[in-house]
Amino acid sequence: MKLRITAVLTLSLLLFVSQAFSQSDPGIRGGPPGAGGPLPSVAADNPLTILKFFNDGQSRFQEVDSVKGTIAGEAGKGLGPRFNAMGCARCHAFPAVGGTSPSVNPQIVDAGADGAINLPPSFVTLSGPVREARFVFFTDPAGNPITSQPNGGVEDLFIIAGRSDAGPCTTSVISQPDFASAVAHNNVIFRIPTPLFGGGLVENIEETDLLSYQASVAGNSFGIAGTFNHNGNDGTIARFGWKAQNKSLEIFAGEAYNVEQGVSNELFTQEHPTPEEERSLGLPNPCKLNATPEDHTNFNVGSIATLSDAVQFAMFMRLLAPPDRSPDTPGGSASIGRGEEFFNKIGCETCHHNRFPSFSSSITPSLDTQKVNLYSDLEIHHMGSTLADNVSQGAAGGDQFRTAPLWGLGKRIFLLHDGRTPDLLKAIDQHSSPSSEANTAVLNFNSLLSTQKQDILNFLRSL
Amino acid sequence: MWRLIRHSLSSLFAVCIGLSADAGTAPAVVPNGVILVKGAAPRSSDSVTPLPEEGKVADGRYSNAYFSLSYPIPAGWTEQPAGPPPSEGGSYVLTQFAFWDREQQRVRAQVLVTAQDLFFSASSAPSARELMASLRRGVVPQYEIERGAEEVTIAGRTFYRVAYGSPLVGLHWRVLSTDARCHALTFTLTGGDKAALDAAERAMGGISLPKESDAPLCVKGYAHDDNIVEKTEPYLATRRFNTIPVRVTIDGEGRVKHVHVLSAFPDQSDAIIAALRAWRLKPYLVDGKPAEIETGLVFGTLRAAARGSAAGSGRL
Repeated sequence: MKLRITAVLTLSLLLFVSQAFSQSDPGIRGGPPGAGGPLPSVAADNPLTILKFFNDGQSRFQEVDSVKGTIAGEAGKGLGPRFNAMGCARCHAFPAVGGTSPSVNPQIVDAGADGAINLPPSFVTLSGPVREARFVFFTDPAGNPITSQPNGGVEDLFIIAGRSDAGPCTTSVISQPDFASAVAHNNVIFRIPTPLFGGGLVENIEETDLLSYQASVAGNSFGIAGTFNHNGNDGTIARFGWKAQNKSLEIFAGEAYNVEQGVSNELFTQEHPTPEEERSLGLPNPCKLNATPEDHTNFNVGSIATLSDAVQFAMFMRLLAPPDRSPDTPGGSASIGRGEEFFNKIGCETCHHNRFPSFSSSITPSLDTQKVNLYSDLEIHHMGSTLADNVSQGAAGGDQFRTAPLWGLGKRIFLLHDGRTPDLLKAIDQHSSPSSEANTAVLNFNSLLSTQKQDILNFLRSL
Repeated sequence: MWRLIRHSLSSLFAVCIGLSADAGTAPAVVPNGVILVKGAAPRSSDSVTPLPEEGKVADGRYSNAYFSLSYPIPAGWTEQPAGPPPSEGGSYVLTQFAFWDREQQRVRAQVLVTAQDLFFSASSAPSARELMASLRRGVVPQYEIERGAEEVTIAGRTFYRVAYGSPLVGLHWRVLSTDARCHALTFTLTGGDKAALDAAERAMGGISLPKESDAPLCVKGYAHDDNIVEKTEPYLATRRFNTIPVRVTIDGEGRVKHVHVLSAFPDQSDAIIAALRAWRLKPYLVDGKPAEIETGLVFGTLRAAARGSAAGSGRL
């Protein structure tokens, strides 16, 4: 008995010592969401009626889609024939509407909703992150990747076949992509939803400020030298999406509506096929069940209802306030303050930059000449072979990603572009690998004492 | 329905055994940790001429044929993962070493070796000296200057040295830079362990970086219209809005002998290399005699990151 007590005490002491001297991710910050509401001037309805636009956009953002819009509780029209989820807020859900992946993945439910007979792929689980999938390469008939033929397009997880409103779009004419084969060939990569809070502020950062900042950190002591992704039409800096592939919130909304939910709209006017269908004869005709675009300007109604969903999704994102940060949680204000200093000085802040101004705004005062504390330079950087997804988008190559904005990080469950980890320490570690611009900053992080690292982790979870 | 079930079962089987569902042969698997789909990347017109990004570590030394550099790695230090490809602003991460305290799982100090092609520098600094002066100005007030900028001689070469640190973080930076082929060749020593930093700085005494070499002269902005006799513009079919810095070697007869595209997409590199092969320039004269030179050009979209060589370049 005495021996057992001694053993327990020794174990407890060891545990205490190890906890006292090793840093750890504090995890999701508790308390209210601190996000999801409108910008202050929008809440004050300045200019008049703008709050109605926000509320309407938020409502549409939460709408659940069906194919025809005729199923109770699924009033949105145009789902599929291929889709990843049945509504925007299904995935942009945590810690509030407009955020990112929730703890319970709604894709499992959506896969079988209304009679659909989808088999969720192995990489989509109830407790895992919401995921979008892309095949890295096109394949031969046996599923072997052809490395001279990069793919990178979105392979929607689900089809409408089997649903009560799918009509002639059955499994005899359409099928899910062969995800099992892609997994077996390691030919599939994932993306999780990007959080949307503060989208209007990000949209309203002037190019001059981004370019000036880039020039100001040239020749830094950390080996960092990023570039920008550019909109293919006018050559200006694109800034939304994991690889900064989208220029504006409206393009972002239109693409997501089309690609993630299968709703054609005025920005992306045809139904979304798989990349393989696109190389062949496109989507089979029996699955084109609605006139296009399915989402459009509503000419026969007045007021806000005239606007299309895509326009109002963008307006909702534009008017969302940035996430709150905590002054003292976790770890106390002193630790958070030190952590920010360490973060800045060891090189992290070179990319995760925190001091952009927004330009003058024609929309609402809270977007006008404000400080944008997004913790991103909006550049694309080489992140190395460990994070590489081998997907090229615009000027971004297989290992280049937009610096992920860190505001709201305290309330994110899944981290990195594919949600591969919930652990901040692992996420930091994954920034270092061959070809990464972050190698020096990670070495600097690993030069710190455990208590200093803990301060940085506390700071990051306070955001 | 049966088709779906059959497909699902065969897929499930494939996942379980890690094989493709057809024929039972091992599938071609996309390797992990390999960047197969690249964005803008370097390219050169031959595979023989040394390039800045092609240094390697062997027998305890880092060697770089382009710079004729040989650098002894301090004992106990280990090579770190390779850095990114050259940037569109002409910056290179050449190599990196660290001294780890394995017991405490902590880095005691590290050395980052970089090069900034001064033809393409975003800053207007024309030399290592100016670059270090600019660095000194830039680190204040974030850090405390500990020493410099000052001139020091290492292995017979003039280096410009700035030392700064952060008492709060407990880290120190010692940055030493010298000129080599119109690049600022820079050693950045960082760490909290002063003894390790001292050891790394002492090891720099063993550097070999000859003043005289067979390398061509470097002449900024030589390929301007006044010096170009024949010129074919490369046709860049896809507008990607990237900046494309290019180093060319021009022989004594004014022909383009070698092309090094620092950062471009493959089709852009192909077009630029093919076009430059047809260029003819006035020979560069040294004491009245034709000499082989290196110079820089910028194609694509000109941005601040490449402004250094903008004047008179062959940009589109």
